Amino acid sequence: MASSTGLSLKFSPLSTSFKQNKVLLRGICNVNSVSLPSRGMRLGSLRLRVSCAAKPETVDKVCSIVRKQLALPKDSPVTGESKFSALGADSLDTVEIVMGLEEEFGISVEEESAQHILTVQDAADLIEKLVEQKSA
Amino acid sequence: MSLKFNPITYQSHKLPSFALPPMANLRSPKFFMASTLRSGYKEVDNPKKPFMPPREVHVQVTHSMPPQKIEIFKSLEDWAENNILTYLKPVEKCWQPHDFLPDPASDGFYEQVKELRERAKEIPDDYFVVLVGDMITEEALPTYQTMLNTLDGVLDETGASLTSWAIWTRAWTAEENRHGDLLNKYLYLSGRVDMRQIEKTVQYLIGSGMDPRTENNPYLGFIYTSFQERATFISHGNTARHAKELGDIKLAQICGNIASDEKRHETAYTKIVEKLFEIDPDGTVLAFADMMRKKISMPAHLMYDGRDDNLFDNFSAVAQKLGVYTARDYADILEFLVNKWRVMEITGLSAEGRKAQDYVCGLAPRIRRLEERAQGRAKQAPKVPFSWIFDREVQL
Repeated sequence: MASSTGLSLKFSPLSTSFKQNKVLLRGICNVNSVSLPSRGMRLGSLRLRVSCAAKPETVDKVCSIVRKQLALPKDSPVTGESKFSALGADSLDTVEIVMGLEEEFGISVEEESAQHILTVQDAADLIEKLVEQKSA
Repeated sequence: MSLKFNPITYQSHKLPSFALPPMANLRSPKFFMASTLRSGYKEVDNPKKPFMPPREVHVQVTHSMPPQKIEIFKSLEDWAENNILTYLKPVEKCWQPHDFLPDPASDGFYEQVKELRERAKEIPDDYFVVLVGDMITEEALPTYQTMLNTLDGVLDETGASLTSWAIWTRAWTAEENRHGDLLNKYLYLSGRVDMRQIEKTVQYLIGSGMDPRTENNPYLGFIYTSFQERATFISHGNTARHAKELGDIKLAQICGNIASDEKRHETAYTKIVEKLFEIDPDGTVLAFADMMRKKISMPAHLMYDGRDDNLFDNFSAVAQKLGVYTARDYADILEFLVNKWRVMEITGLSAEGRKAQDYVCGLAPRIRRLEERAQGRAKQAPKVPFSWIFDREVQL
């Protein structure tokens, strides 16, 4: 499943407006490290998912729950791309993070979906999908 | 749950390349249970290799204890003779399976067998599934003696070594051997179970072995056995209680006697680790945290009956449902050991040691919280057949 890699380029950067790129890039929590894209950017270096990408606020909330669970110092980078395992989360941490997300967003995560959550972005996207389904 | 992936390269399209365990099943308390405590996946029968039993697929680490620490165990031999061997029971004072079964040499044999079978008829299938699983676990004893003999510093070098450690291991094995024998004979006579399927499962299991990730390291090894002995004590204690409730006093005695052996063994192993905490608190607390992070995998987690790829998971689910051995028990055992070894009181630890201490001391509440959540959300589970009971179905 392509989405499980957290990387899927679904649009041609040359045809996208600069403004849209800026909105998407705000989804990254540690804003200081973001550099704005230019028209000459290489396809391979862009790590955005346009279809079903989560709102920046959602990604932010996920980041803060992750930081709290893993007791990460304020300056350590946590972004949409961050893999839970790379941040030092063991399987117990990951379950507790998902539990925290369920509480925060008032959703219920199925085991099968939970297994595909490898990055912060994965979590945020799933949350938004579930929240949308709940209100539908 | 058998994900097919290449164990050589550990590549999987679903998992990162270092094969993390799957996310916990939030619906069931299995996360800490027996089944999900394994760190890897089992690869079941490949049709091209018909004689391959399920096997561990995580990387097997060896000899993680620094060789200079072997000295510690050599120097503890006298201490072990005076403090650990005392927990062995002299053979002349031990019960034997014969004491709890119909006596073939007596005139009343047939009557006794008939009575046993009548009592067994009153016992439901789900209880038998758990009893069978326990029996299969006990019958895989060769694996456990082997495991003890992989531990550097305490292994039995010749099979007849006279070190205290070797004497302990052989005598422990001998005591445990009666457990499988007794349960085997009981189940055989009961007529309630498919002995051939059970015997096959035992053969598969001994063939599979197990890797509890003790890495030839007696610190890890004895922490593991401390946990395990307490787990079997609790488990057999529960089957004993159940049997009594079901009106089978003899079966209750069988399980109860096994449980009391396990209790005695638990006391011995925890005493060894207590001594290690005294001599090398930092090393021991690090070992404790390491084993808990890796999770205590159940000895029979590779069990297979030739038919059910999820046999161990299904068995554990029944054991959980009946309250014979649950995720809450796992947390309780952990808490018991933390208190027994007074981990919270240890001082003078390194920075890593303090982290380990915090982890271990804070772990039981986290597990309980998870377990409560899972219980609250438990969905209706399916009924599954067990070949051990002629494919009759049991509610998970």
